Amino acid sequence: MEAPSDASILLLTLRVAAIATLLILPIGIFAAWRLSRRAGAGRTLAETLLSLPLVLPPTAVGLLLLELLSRSGPLGRLLDRLGIEILFTWKAVVLATAVMSFPLLVRPARTAFEEIEPRLLAMARSLGCGPIAVFRRVALPLAWRGVLSGTLLAFSRALGEFGATIMIAGNIPGRTQTMALAIFQRTHIGRDDAALRLVAITVVIAFTVVWTSEIVTRRRSRRSET
Amino acid sequence: MIELEIALPLSRFRLEVAAALPADTVAVLGPSGSGKTSLLESIAGLRPKAAGRVTIRGERVMDTKAGLKPPPERRRIGYVPQDACLFPHLNVGENVRFGMARRNGAALFEEAVRILEISPLLDRYPATLSGGERQRVALARAIATEPRLLLLDEPLAAVDPALRGRILPYLLRVRGSLGVPFLYVTHNAGEARAVAEAAIVLRAGAVTFAGTPDAALEMISADEDPEARFDNILSGLLEASGAGGENGLLRIGETRLVVPADPRAVPGTRAVYSVAPEDILVSTRPLEGISARNVHPGRVVSVTIAGTDAWIGISAAGVEWTARLTRTASDVLGLAGGVEVWIAVKTQAFHRLG
Repeated sequence: MEAPSDASILLLTLRVAAIATLLILPIGIFAAWRLSRRAGAGRTLAETLLSLPLVLPPTAVGLLLLELLSRSGPLGRLLDRLGIEILFTWKAVVLATAVMSFPLLVRPARTAFEEIEPRLLAMARSLGCGPIAVFRRVALPLAWRGVLSGTLLAFSRALGEFGATIMIAGNIPGRTQTMALAIFQRTHIGRDDAALRLVAITVVIAFTVVWTSEIVTRRRSRRSET
Repeated sequence: MIELEIALPLSRFRLEVAAALPADTVAVLGPSGSGKTSLLESIAGLRPKAAGRVTIRGERVMDTKAGLKPPPERRRIGYVPQDACLFPHLNVGENVRFGMARRNGAALFEEAVRILEISPLLDRYPATLSGGERQRVALARAIATEPRLLLLDEPLAAVDPALRGRILPYLLRVRGSLGVPFLYVTHNAGEARAVAEAAIVLRAGAVTFAGTPDAALEMISADEDPEARFDNILSGLLEASGAGGENGLLRIGETRLVVPADPRAVPGTRAVYSVAPEDILVSTRPLEGISARNVHPGRVVSVTIAGTDAWIGISAAGVEWTARLTRTASDVLGLAGGVEVWIAVKTQAFHRLG
C-alpha cells in the first residue's frame, strides 16, 4: 500500500480535529455555563469527572472507550444494531480527540463565565430577559474571550491526540492515521527524516494556535474594563 | 397607592416591611445597612427568598401566599441600582434599548433620551462615563421598558461630590412627564420632600415610620443616620441666568430668589437648586444691612431637637425651609412653632443640581 502524503495526513488531522471541536463546542459551552452558576458537592463532582481525561493516561481513556463501544459493550451493541460502525474508522478518531479535548474547552470558558458580575445577569432578568436570553445577550458576549481561548486550546489538543486514538481507531494510513500517529509510525520504521517533516508542520500549527489564544485572553479592550 | 408587605431573612436581621402608602411616589430613608437595597431587590424579584405581597395602583406585582411569584423578567419593574449596572459590552444606545418595550419602545426610547439628556452619550461605552452619566443612562434604560414601577437606589452623595450630575433633577422631570410610580432610596430627607408624596424610614429591616416626607424629616433627624442630609431642594423657573455680570434669578411661585450667575444657563428653563440647612441664617428681628441677598420674613413651623442640633422648619416666601442651628442658638432665640422669624440665605449657598 502506498504511504499517504504529508498533505493528506495533515488534511485528515485538521478535519477530524475541526469536527471534534465543533462537536464539543455546544456541549462544552453549556457545561461551562451551568457549572459557573452552581455551587456545592454536585458541582465539584461534575468538575472532577470532566477533568479526568486531563489527568488519566490517554490510553486508559481509550481502553474505556473501547470497552464501551465494542460489540459486547453497552453502547457498542446499540450501535451495532443501528448499523453504525465507529471503532477503527475516522469517527473513532473524532470521538477520541473530542473526549480528550473536552476539559480544555470547559475550563477557560467556565472561568470566563464565573468572572461575569452576577448583578449584570440579574439586571438583564429585570429588563425582561428569560434565562436563555440572558445567556445569549449578556453572558456569552461578556465571556467570548474565554470561550474562544478554550476552543483554540481544545482544537490544538485535538490535533495532537495520540493515546486514546490509537486504542480505538488504530493507526491505519489514509483512514485513521493523524499527524501524531504518523510521526510514531515513521519513526518506528526508521524514517526519522519523514517524521521530522511532520513534526515541523505540527510545531508551526501548534505555535499559531496557542499564540492566538494567548493574544485573545491577554488583550482586554478598553470598553470591557469597568 | 403602593402597598408593600415583604419578608426576607438577611444575615444580620430579618427584613420585614409592611406599609400601605396613599401615594405613587415614595422616598425610602434610613441609615446604610437598614435593608433599603434588599427591599428594592425583593420587589424587583431578584431575591428568590423574598415572600409577601406588592401592589401598585391596585395591580398585584407579587403575592407569594397566593402563589404569585413571577420571575424578574415578567414583573415590568424598572430597577436603577446604585452602581447603575450598565452592560459593559454595549454602548449607551444599546444599553437603553436593551429591555425596550415592544409596543411603545421607540417612542419611549426617544422620550427617555430627551428627558435624561443622553443623546450626546449614545455611542459611548459605560467605562467612559462619569457616575452621574451612568445613573442617567440606567434610568433611561429602565424607563424604556415601560415599567409599572421604578426603583431608584441613589448612590451616596459622597460618591459624586460635585452636586451636578445627581439623578434628582432628572427624576423630577420623569415624574412630571411620565407619571410612573417610584420608590426612591436616599439619605437626603430634603430630597425626599422634593420628589415624593410619601416616605418610609427603615431601620434594621423594619419600617419605623411611614407618612409624609415632612414628618419623615423630623423622624429621621432623631435617627442616627450619619450620612443623612437635609438639603433644601428648590425647583423653579430661571428668570435670569446672570450672564451680564448680574446674579441669576430663580422664580418659585411669586418669590424671586437670587442665585449665582451661570452664563451657560438658559433663562426661561426649569432649574433645581440645593441649599444646605447650615447655610440658612435665622433671626427673630428684621434683618437690615446684611450682605445676604435673600432675606425673607417667615414663620417657624417645627422645631426638632436631635442631640446638640436643632432642625428648624420655616415657612418663608412661599417655600418650606429647613435650617440647622445649634440647640443653644435655638434656645436663646426662643424658637418654637408659630414664632415670626427672618431668614437670610447667601447667593453662594445655592448649588445648582440641574
